[in-house]
Amino acid sequence: MALAPIPISSAAAAQAYRAVDSGAFGAAPTTTGASATDFGGALARALQGAVDTGHTADAQSASAIAGGGNITDVVAAVSKAELALQTTVTIRDRVVQAYQDIMRMPI
Amino acid sequence: MDITKALDISARGMDVQTTRLRVIAENLANQDTTGSDPRTEPYRRKTITFATEMDRAAGMPMVKVKKIGVDQSELPRRYDPSHPAADAQGYVRQPNVNAFVEMMDMRSAQRSYNANVSVMQVARGMLTRAIDLLK
Repeated sequence: MALAPIPISSAAAAQAYRAVDSGAFGAAPTTTGASATDFGGALARALQGAVDTGHTADAQSASAIAGGGNITDVVAAVSKAELALQTTVTIRDRVVQAYQDIMRMPI
Repeated sequence: MDITKALDISARGMDVQTTRLRVIAENLANQDTTGSDPRTEPYRRKTITFATEMDRAAGMPMVKVKKIGVDQSELPRRYDPSHPAADAQGYVRQPNVNAFVEMMDMRSAQRSYNANVSVMQVARGMLTRAIDLLK
């Protein structure tokens, strides 16, 4: 079975990155600033979501310590906050790593 | 997200089993509670039933406590003429609580609670494994 040769040239790599940039993230390469689709905006929204979940967990924990809340609600809220933060941090690490890989690329 | 919904559903399951345990605790604590005179009734065993109900805030069906009722079965009588609640024949009406039944209910509540905790652990584990794929 013959496989198509994988292009291992810097031009092909740049073309692939351009395709990802315009296709996967849905934004033209020239788009800058806090648009709806750029990575900074997406990360900010994801992080805001994680922080909001964390605030909910904090409020639940505080009311449970004060004797008013429900311990099962606290467990669920804290789990959700933990998972949301974990997801955001992992995706951030992944994208920052991809950026650094591109920056280190010998031209 | 379905995983977080699973967490919420399990948390609610744990919650209703806690309420069930509270009812069992009441029954066991009052298994010797008779009336103070022949006319007052002794403690009657409490029962609990569950139902699935659409939770509008969460947008999914969740288990909830439907009703905490009273067991209307016949009250056993014990011969004890010196008791203040004894009737003219010397019999005292006892609560219709059976400690063995309550013990079995308690075990059942414990098992259900543990099952919900396991679901929670598995849901967290699944999502953590999926996140680990990115690392």
